[in-house]
Amino acid sequence: MKEIFKITMSLTAVCIAASLILGFVYAKTDHARKLNEERTEQKTIQGLLGFGADEKAPDDLKIFPVYRYVITSPQGETSLGYVLPLKGDKVVLVELDLSGKPIRVLPIDASISSLADQANRDNIINGALPKGSKSVWAQTIFVADRGGKRLSYVVPGVIQGFKTFIKLMVSLTPDFTVSGVAVTYSEEDPGLGAEIQKDFFRNQFVGKTLDLIKKLSVVKEPLPADYASSLDPVKAKQKGLTAEQVKEIKAKHLNDDIYALTGATISSRALTKGVVNTVQKFVKRLEILDEAIRKEQLSIAF
Amino acid sequence: MNRNVQLLWNGLIPENPIFRLALSMCPAVAVTTSVQNGLMLGLAVIFVQVFSSCTVAIFKSFIHPRIRIPAYVIVIALWVTVIDMILPVISPEVYKQVELFVKLIVVFAIIISRLELFASKEPLIPSFFDGLGMGIGFLFGLCLIGAIREFFGTGQLFGFDILGFNPLLIMVLPAGGFFVIGFIMAIFNWIEYKLTGKIPTSGGAH
Repeated sequence: MKEIFKITMSLTAVCIAASLILGFVYAKTDHARKLNEERTEQKTIQGLLGFGADEKAPDDLKIFPVYRYVITSPQGETSLGYVLPLKGDKVVLVELDLSGKPIRVLPIDASISSLADQANRDNIINGALPKGSKSVWAQTIFVADRGGKRLSYVVPGVIQGFKTFIKLMVSLTPDFTVSGVAVTYSEEDPGLGAEIQKDFFRNQFVGKTLDLIKKLSVVKEPLPADYASSLDPVKAKQKGLTAEQVKEIKAKHLNDDIYALTGATISSRALTKGVVNTVQKFVKRLEILDEAIRKEQLSIAF
Repeated sequence: MNRNVQLLWNGLIPENPIFRLALSMCPAVAVTTSVQNGLMLGLAVIFVQVFSSCTVAIFKSFIHPRIRIPAYVIVIALWVTVIDMILPVISPEVYKQVELFVKLIVVFAIIISRLELFASKEPLIPSFFDGLGMGIGFLFGLCLIGAIREFFGTGQLFGFDILGFNPLLIMVLPAGGFFVIGFIMAIFNWIEYKLTGKIPTSGGAH
């Protein structure tokens, strides 16, 4: 009997010591990690828009976030809230019911840049809503604007992968053609599923129009050699392909489905499904939102 | 030979985790489609193995022998999580490369077996060198398998095109991993047979 107490105490002590250490490390690193994540997110967005180390983003490029909230009224009805930046650094919350009809437009007393921090933003949004309503953040969409014209949308998405969730970002041109796909978080197996992050796989989505995306599927066929070398900029350089040739090959394969990775069909299907779902949902939501903006005659920033 | 050097050498060849002890074969097959992958996983394992071995060597008197295995699992999980939290702060670039590999480690057989067989009986300094030796041995094994598979499977090494064509695609598929490990293991056993004249028992030391 005494033995079992000793064992219990010993294991409890080990667990408590471990959790204390973990708690301490978490508290110390949390802030820095969040900052890093934000920086990576900004970098990913810039990369998707085609700007990076070799090509500086132009000065008149502005990236506006649009926050989507799910709002529950005191009566238990669900509605959607979009936090939109207006011209002149003002912010409004547009509340839509589930069929897409605007319910009301609430002014938010804060600048859009001060809403980047989620805890702060949640507080402000909850304060602006009528008493008893609850709101939960759902998604942040980024709209890139250049000289008053929409340049592209960057939409995050999430899908079940092989082991856990795959988080991704899709950039779309104003006519909903995919201009880039990035994997921001995944735990797929290195050497197998993790290859979804490689250029030759991600770039297969680039150039697909909305119609193609709608019926996109995955084929278990080897990637054609000429297509493979045109998808990977490094390989294209090695093979000495000119920009013209790359364009030509890509155009030839534009209507192809996504070629699955060898030994990682589940991950390939997951990313494809993620991109398709993200794009389709976004297009529908944007249609409703643009309609509401027109009805309410808001002068939004982008 | 100095005992610490002996321990390092022991982990590298005579008791190589993959080819002699036949432990942690699962990651050795799954991850090693390229040298780069093998290198990254090997580095991650070295860190976790050394830290866990040292922790257990220091605190072994506090751990009740009847619950040592759960305690070891907690120690390993602790170090994996701590590395996973600290590394992105110290160096986001490195973390981006090894992120997936660190998370794979939690219950590798090799780590817990070294804690059970070595660190729980020996003092700190030998445990450190044993952990380091085993880690380096694992790294060596992964890199060797990775190099063979990458070279024959894709005609590349470290991502650089060498042959320009794929001689044997099967090498990058999971089946190729079993072939390569099997052949290297056979070579190790053959060398042992030549040196000692004894036919090696199956698997290895344990």
